[in-house]
Amino acid sequence: MTTAIEVPQVVQASPEVKALHRKMLARQRRGRLVTYAVGILIALWILIPIFFIGSMAFTTPAEVRTFPKSVLPFIPFSLDTMRFFLNSEGILSGVINSVVVAVITLLLSTLIAAPAGYALSRYIFPGRNFYRLSILAVRAFPIVILAIPLAVVFLNIGFYDSVYSLALMHTALTLPTTVLVVGSVFASIPYELEEAAMVFGCTPMKAFRYVVLPLVLPGIAAAAIFTFVMSWNEVFAASVLTIQNRTLPAQVLYALSQSSEPYQFAGGFFMLVPALIFIFLIRRYLFNMWGQVSK
Amino acid sequence: MKRKRQWAPYILILPSVIYLAIFFAWPMVQALKLAIWDSDGLLTLRADASQESSIAARIPQGTAVEILGQQGNLVAEDQLGQANIITERWFNISGTGADGSPIQGWATESRIRVREETSAGTPTRGTVRRKLAANVDPLTNIYTEPNVKSQIVGKLEPNATVSINQTTILEVWYQLSSTQNGKSVEGWAPSRFIQVFGDEPRGRVERGNAGLFTTEFITKMVNDRFFLPALETTLLLMVIIIPVQFVLAIVMALVIQARLRGHSLLLYIFAIPLGVSDLAVGIVWFSIFTQSGFLNSILINLGLISTPLTFLSAETRQWIIVAIFLAEVWRATSIVMIIIVSGLQAIPQEVLEAAELFGANLWQRIRHVILPLLKPSLQVALILRTILALQVFAVVIALSGGDVVTVLANETYRQYYDFRNPNVAASYAGLILLLSMVSAIIYLRLVRTQEEATS
Repeated sequence: MTTAIEVPQVVQASPEVKALHRKMLARQRRGRLVTYAVGILIALWILIPIFFIGSMAFTTPAEVRTFPKSVLPFIPFSLDTMRFFLNSEGILSGVINSVVVAVITLLLSTLIAAPAGYALSRYIFPGRNFYRLSILAVRAFPIVILAIPLAVVFLNIGFYDSVYSLALMHTALTLPTTVLVVGSVFASIPYELEEAAMVFGCTPMKAFRYVVLPLVLPGIAAAAIFTFVMSWNEVFAASVLTIQNRTLPAQVLYALSQSSEPYQFAGGFFMLVPALIFIFLIRRYLFNMWGQVSK
Repeated sequence: MKRKRQWAPYILILPSVIYLAIFFAWPMVQALKLAIWDSDGLLTLRADASQESSIAARIPQGTAVEILGQQGNLVAEDQLGQANIITERWFNISGTGADGSPIQGWATESRIRVREETSAGTPTRGTVRRKLAANVDPLTNIYTEPNVKSQIVGKLEPNATVSINQTTILEVWYQLSSTQNGKSVEGWAPSRFIQVFGDEPRGRVERGNAGLFTTEFITKMVNDRFFLPALETTLLLMVIIIPVQFVLAIVMALVIQARLRGHSLLLYIFAIPLGVSDLAVGIVWFSIFTQSGFLNSILINLGLISTPLTFLSAETRQWIIVAIFLAEVWRATSIVMIIIVSGLQAIPQEVLEAAELFGANLWQRIRHVILPLLKPSLQVALILRTILALQVFAVVIALSGGDVVTVLANETYRQYYDFRNPNVAASYAGLILLLSMVSAIIYLRLVRTQEEATS
């Protein structure tokens, strides 16, 4: 007992060590302060533009048109600008089209990608590396090249200007990402759990249904949400593939040059809102997108 | 059991492979084909007026032709709407022939005047027209088939009343002759491909029905007045955006990785731009840089200027570039940060602690420990960002209207949407693909040679 107390006393007694310790603590504190300062600066850099456009979206159209704009936000607070935007031609149908396209994309993409992701994380098979590299390559390749020929093909077979053709195209776009995310989600569930369930008498299907599925469901939901966001945001293919049935971004892009500032600002903010919500929902799974890639 | 399991992964990945083959690989090939293959560059001339007869010659689009004769031919109903198509109607009629016996057969529309039709417009009764020209047989020929070359069933007197049983629409085929490489060629082709000038028996091949390898579209793209500005701006944006993005992303990643209290909130804020569409980002930065926007408002409120500055106009191209630069850095740094944080998490904590213990300061730790270990992540991020930077689109349109400052993706869109020229658009798409692949290969090689040099 006594020796246990004496030992720290001996250490503390050395003034050099004490000074070093203090120095290191000070350095650590300083480092922490600098990190906080840098982090807050970057956070402001990201938040201030959102704040600007949000404050414009929730004030009167007259206020939006004044110059110089008050930097104080939301004064006077009003939903008129937002209402004006939502009542503009093509916006409501654009929102509906966007949601329909995004939901079909989400369903198709998840249904096709989930088995592939499972195979990637659970089996070692010849061609696995090639498959994963191809998925990565497809993930990186530009949508611009796909939209033009698909538009020509859809035009020829009379499937042009339809939300379904756009959903097929968006699925091709989101599928690789979904495969990778789902794969890394499955990989984070140890195979031993499945094995243990089978040891206790589950069939492989049952083990999957009652052990693996509940564990991966949140991750797959996150992948699905990410798919939804990608489709909701996509503007190039949507503009090329639709004329009458424009999605929201395509409609806003189409009307952008002839529209007034209240329309533009409210539209910009409206398109931005899902990002704020969905990124919050999937923030835990952000790293799954890349966690498995380089292994 | 084991043998059976070996099939499982292939069955599981099969749907995605099929889907990507149909909606990714095939369109990619189609894009390249659109860029270099003129699908109606050649017109096939047939020996007879029928799709089944042998090929007499192929003549290129735009050739001047002489029309020697014409004949009707069966045509699918869904093709009647095609441009330039010339049709003739034939009636299947029955009546009393010139010799008094009942006959049934086909006569062209030009010989029969329709007298009665149903409410739906189907002709039911008609009379034979009188031939006005002198020195011709006044009787009208009736054929076994809707074709003047078929057998004659009988003849009808002028003004004879006939009942119309059936109507058929035929496409006119022309017998054409033209000179090609000094030689005269002759053959039949459907009227839809030929543009006829006035009443003269002359015309030109308006489009073809057979493919032809061509560099026409690529030439058109290169000679377009927006081509060089678009290429320059795209590369310029790439060069100025990517380095700044990587520095910023590494700083963001280090802040997150310091794991201070509240780092999950910071991570959320840093990741927000990940989910924001490029169009929305363009509008956000437009609201800042436009003449009555926030930047001018702030500058006036601070008393730094008295009249608003113009940033986004044709005369201030450099300011538009700055605005696009800021918008893109704002938007696309998050994805780089995510990749880098993933890479940082894979670095063993002991390595960093050891470096710190040996007295390495922050810069030394970044330079000699973190960056070398991050190389694979950086490589992935670099390739991804470069390829994404080649596709900048909506941000540019939102900030410049697409004319003053233009990029390759915008030109692709313009060629397709405004100029209705999918082939030139596909050339642009092919160029973007080529640049993407070249940059990816360069990055991969660059990193590999470095590794070989160090080992």
